[in-house]
Parts: sequence; C-alpha cells; structure tokens
Amino acid sequence: MDPIYLDYAATTPMRDEVMDAMAPYHSGAFGNPSSSHRWGREAQAALERSRGRIADALGAGRREIVFVRGGTESDNLALLGRADATRANDGRPCIVTSAIEHKAVLDAARSVESDGGRTIVLPVDRSGTVDLDALDEALEEAPCLVSIMWVNNEVGVVQPMSEIVERCRARSVSVHSDAVQAVGRVPVRVDDVELDLLSLSGHKLYGPKSAGALFVRSGTEVHARIHGGGQEAGLRPGTQDVAGAVGLAEAVCLAVEEQARARARYLSLRERLVGRLRAEIPDLRVHGDGGEVAGHVLSVGIPDLAAEMLMVSLDMEGLAVSGGSACQSGSNGVSHVLSAMYGEDALPAAIRYSFGRPTTDAQVDEAAAATVRVVRRLLGVAAPA
Amino acid sequence: MARPRILAAMSGGVDSSVAAALLVEQGFEVVGATMKTFCYSGEGSHAKSCCGLDGIVDARLVAERLGIPHYVFDVEEEFTRDVIDDFVSEYVRGRTPNPCVRCNSHTKFGDLLRRAEQLECEGIATGHYVRIERGDGARLLRGRDHDKDQAYFLWGLAPDVLPRLHVPLGELTKPEVRARARELELVTADKPESQEICFVPTGDYRDLLRTRLEDRHPAMEPGPILTEDGTVLGEHDGYAGFTVGQRRGLGGGFAEPMFVLEIRPDERAVVVGPRSSLEMTAIRVERPHWIGAAPAAGDRVAVQVRHRGAPLDATVAAISAAEVLLGFDGAQPAAAPGQSAVLFEGDVVLGGGRISRVVRPAPVSA
Repeated sequence: MDPIYLDYAATTPMRDEVMDAMAPYHSGAFGNPSSSHRWGREAQAALERSRGRIADALGAGRREIVFVRGGTESDNLALLGRADATRANDGRPCIVTSAIEHKAVLDAARSVESDGGRTIVLPVDRSGTVDLDALDEALEEAPCLVSIMWVNNEVGVVQPMSEIVERCRARSVSVHSDAVQAVGRVPVRVDDVELDLLSLSGHKLYGPKSAGALFVRSGTEVHARIHGGGQEAGLRPGTQDVAGAVGLAEAVCLAVEEQARARARYLSLRERLVGRLRAEIPDLRVHGDGGEVAGHVLSVGIPDLAAEMLMVSLDMEGLAVSGGSACQSGSNGVSHVLSAMYGEDALPAAIRYSFGRPTTDAQVDEAAAATVRVVRRLLGVAAPA
Repeated sequence: MARPRILAAMSGGVDSSVAAALLVEQGFEVVGATMKTFCYSGEGSHAKSCCGLDGIVDARLVAERLGIPHYVFDVEEEFTRDVIDDFVSEYVRGRTPNPCVRCNSHTKFGDLLRRAEQLECEGIATGHYVRIERGDGARLLRGRDHDKDQAYFLWGLAPDVLPRLHVPLGELTKPEVRARARELELVTADKPESQEICFVPTGDYRDLLRTRLEDRHPAMEPGPILTEDGTVLGEHDGYAGFTVGQRRGLGGGFAEPMFVLEIRPDERAVVVGPRSSLEMTAIRVERPHWIGAAPAAGDRVAVQVRHRGAPLDATVAAISAAEVLLGFDGAQPAAAPGQSAVLFEGDVVLGGGRISRVVRPAPVSA
C-alpha cells in the first residue's frame, strides 16, 4: 500500500496559500521591521497586518498578539512570564494546571515550582475532562495563573473552557490556554471565551514551523523571559521573522474560516475509523470516550501488545501514526496523559491517528485494514479464512 | 519473489554500518535497529537527551543514506537486568566479568531475534568479525581478520540464533571495512574504535559500582593487601577495583613488581605476589555452553582466556553439564575468575563458559 500519513497532530505540511503569502518576505521584502527606511517600513507593515489578521481571527486586539517562535515558547512565556510578574509584585507564584497538559506547560510549571513557586496539578476523569471541583478548590489558593489546554494533543479531548474561564474570572485569576491543537479544530475566540493568555503554533495549522503567537489580554501582567532590543512590546525581543508571521497569519485565518466544515469532516473520518477498528479488534479501547472530542485525533488502546513493536510494524506497513504523542516516539515512556485518565497500572499499547486536510475515507479504510493486519499478527491470531 | 527481510543491529559504529550496507548490496530487505541499552540519567543537563545519543543519530544517518528504515528499540530494562546487574555482582564476588559476552548472549541477539520474529524478518545481522559456516548445523568461526576477531565474545549464542545470524564482515579486515564505509560516504567511516565498556561513560568502572552499590559496600571499602603467606603488606581502597594479574594500584615499595594473584571477598583481601606466582596449570569453567556438540574428556582443545589472548593448548580433563576442567600443557599466566574461557578447534568455536577457579601449580617441594 502507498504510505499514508495520519499524524497531522504531530505536524502538518504547509499549504500553498501559506507558502505563496510568505514567498515575498524571504528575499525581496527582507527588511528588518525595526528599521525606519523603506525596507523596514515594508516589513513592519507586513508584520503588523499579520498581527491584525490573527487578532481578528481570534477576536482579540491587534496589540494583544505577541509573535514568538512556536507553541512551546508561547506556553513558556505565558507561565514563566506570569510567574516572574508575580514575583516582581512580591508574590509567590502559584500555577494551577492539569495532568494532561503538553510537556511545554507541565515542565514550565515544574520549573516555577523549583524556583520557589507552587504548582497544583488538577486531575482529569476517564474521559480526559478536567475536574472542575478540583479547580474550584485550587482557586482558593489564589493562583497567579490557571493554564488548561483547550484540546489535548494525545487524545483530542476538548475541555469545557467557558466554564473554566468563568470560574477563574469570578475570582479574578488569570487563565491561559494552550490552544495549539484547538485553533482550526474547534471555535476559539477570546471575545467569547474570555481568556487572558492563549498560545498557538503555526505548524499544526499548515503554517510554518517555529512560528507561534501568544495572545496577552491588555492589562495582563507578563514579564519577558529573554532580553534584547525590545521587539514585541519587550515580551519577545529579537528581530521578528516577518515571513513566519505572514505565514502564521495566513494559516490561522484559513484554519478559522474552514473550522466548522473541517471539524464535521474529521468527526466523520473518526467515526469511520472507530467503526472499522471496533468491528475487528474486540478489546479496543477508545481514549476519551464519553468526553467531547475535537475530531482530528483518534487515540485507541490495544491490550496485550508492546507499543514499540506496534509502532514499528505499522510503519513497515506504510502507516505513519504515533504512539501517544510524537514527543514519545523512540522511547517507552508511558503517556502521562493516559496515566492521568486511566491510572498507572498496565496501560494498553496506544495508537494515535490524526487526520488532516488531505485525509480521505479510502485512506482511513486502508489504515484500519493495516492496523487489523498488524494487531492480528502480533497477537498471533490467524486472519479469518 | 519478496526479498528476505533482515533486521540489522546498527550501533552507530562503522562496523555495523558497513554490515548493513553489505546486506543491502546483497539484495536483502534490510531494516536497521539500534538497541537503546542504557541512558545517562539523573544528573547533568543532558539528562533527558538519551534519544540524541550519538550512536542513535549516526545509525539513523547511515540508514537514511542506505535508504532503509531504522528503528530504536528500548532494551534498557533487559540490559540492566542481564548485563549491568551481573557486571556489578561479579565484581562484588571478586571476579572480573565480560559484559560484552553477557550482552551478546542475551540482549544483542536474544532480544533482537525476538523482535525480528515479530517483524517477520527471516534473520538478524550484526557487524561482528566472525564467520558462520552453514551446512549440517551452523558453525561459528573466528573472523578472517585475526586482529579484529570477536569470536571470544560470542560463545554464549543461543542455539536458535546462529542459523539465522548474518555476519557480513567475517571475511573482511578492518581497513577493508573502513574503505567500504568511505566509498559509501557513511558518516561513521572514520569513527574511532569503541574500546570502553559502553555503559561506563567515565571509563572507570568503579564509578559505576559506586553508583549502583549502596554506600560503604564492602567491595568498595578498604581492606588488606596480603602476601601468599598471609603477611599484611598494606591497604587497598576496595577489592572490586582489582583484577587477577593487575599490577597497578597496589602502591610501590616492593622489592620486585607485585601482581594481584587472588581476590578474597570474604576477607576483603587482595593477595599479591611476584610474577612467578602468577601462574595456572588448569581452570574450572562453570555452566558451559556449547555451540555444537559438547567435547568429551580427553579431547585436545585450544582455550582462550582473555580478549585478544593467544589460544592455549589444553586437554579436557573432566566435563559435565555444570562444569569443565581444562588442563593446560604447561604453566600459563593466570587468568581472572569471571572471565570467559572459550574453547576452539582451529578457528571453530566449540563453546565456552565462565572461569570459576584458577588452579595454581603445586608448590615445588624442597
């Protein structure tokens, strides 16, 4: 079979529209947006137009968008920058987050802790939904930030962001969301769900890698983590990547425009794949069952198999998927997300399929067939005659 | 017809790189595999970077160059249990282990073969300098390049491994292998030889013992340096730091050079003596493993008792499933207990085992 890529939650190919939009800024309009001459002005105009486009797409103000180098940096700036601002006001930073966050958030939270702050990690239920009672309890501790991811990258579960934000705002606690997997997959508007900070990344949206943004609601105090020439309102100094910003804006706008249709399609692909796998693999567990899912991710657990052999065998069949998330490939690290959802004991081998713009029904059918072949072989079950 | 699929172990060194390349040339469908055996974990800024260990990256670059898939298999748990734990406990027993033998007997081949079966591979491959003759039962032979020969490390191969093992370097010399690597423009072509024990990053195995043993473990605590007649000559800093035949680390001031003759863990003692006392006439070899048929009492064999050591002429004095007693033709420099004794007939590996006891010459009566 022709190789099939079903790992769009790991990264996506750049769209033609994005590459076309970026092209003029690599060499022709290559100016430094901080320069006052015509090259600089041209670059600055492109940068600010892009900022405005992203702001419009998210329901934010243009000055509330900070360009950074990708999702991880955006998450780090939100958490560490908020913690530093708290310290500057003689406070001890306390970060509330969830057990299923991306490592960019969890590890940043841990570093706040090791620098003398505090971290409260909220549990999730079996569907992967954050425990709101635990959130209420944590809010009693007057944290400087609550950070909850909008859509989980491993299982695709959507968090009840409106409720979370409501509870935080009622207590005047700042809220951040890692929306790297959410933008373009579910409706994300900060004028509707009134977050204070929101992270997004280009390469998950058919945009450029190393391009990301942090929405910072005006009035939210965040301190810079690196120091330099004062670009991005001092929050992310360093000469801006104008082409990256232009590409990010194009990608975000297209993703937001197409979101509703894309989600409907992904949900139908997901249902199709679940149906085919369930029919052939009796003990299949669908991760996140019972919660709201974004649709582009399907994570399943298959008991009695070694995750490593499963991944290798699927790759040899031509199927590109991941076990857990892309960050875990090559190691046998148990997924912290699945552990949080199901407990520590004997997690089944996990496969994460994630769909993208090019994914077809036929590819999903082939992926299901390849998975069934591999699982039967590894389990030593003969294919039915 | 589909090409036979081979799972090739690729450590990221030049030998296994060329072995994989040769199999590709020979028309096999080659799948590269790097066994991640251990992780420098805990301290230091590179704590989490084991996935970026040079070997894995180099192996991946070579695989890309050869146009073959490459996977990393995490065998840290198995390797720790079968190789590192054994390594530590042997030193605690006052013996000198061969971790590479343990790795080859367990991890490298056993764990690889099991994965190969699951991936529907007909065989496995490594970059060892040994040869395999197939026919009425497969035979393991020394590599054609006797300078590089690695047969000493492979006596523990399980019976199901040999028939399915491919060793394309067996007929080549090291310079030929490097030349092939350069021709193929492999990034590993000029990589230096790996000499150290792979899981001892500092090069001093006592550092590893210290991290793996509890504080103040007797094997790492001072004890007496004794002469053969029991005279205390001084103190050493932990018997696990010594090996029979070793001269270093005993301190100076002796009338003639002194060598370690014996290690007595019960007394934490290291027994030393002059070179003339460092002799053996026979060895006991425990838990022998035979590649083909076991030899019989009275058979004449050549025995190698250390890596790169010359084969010594010997006679099988007694043999059982549990033990072999080998008598040498004359007195030989003593071997260290724990080391492998490997029996050969010409270039053919008969099998081997661990040396459990070294029999020293009876004192000459006055």
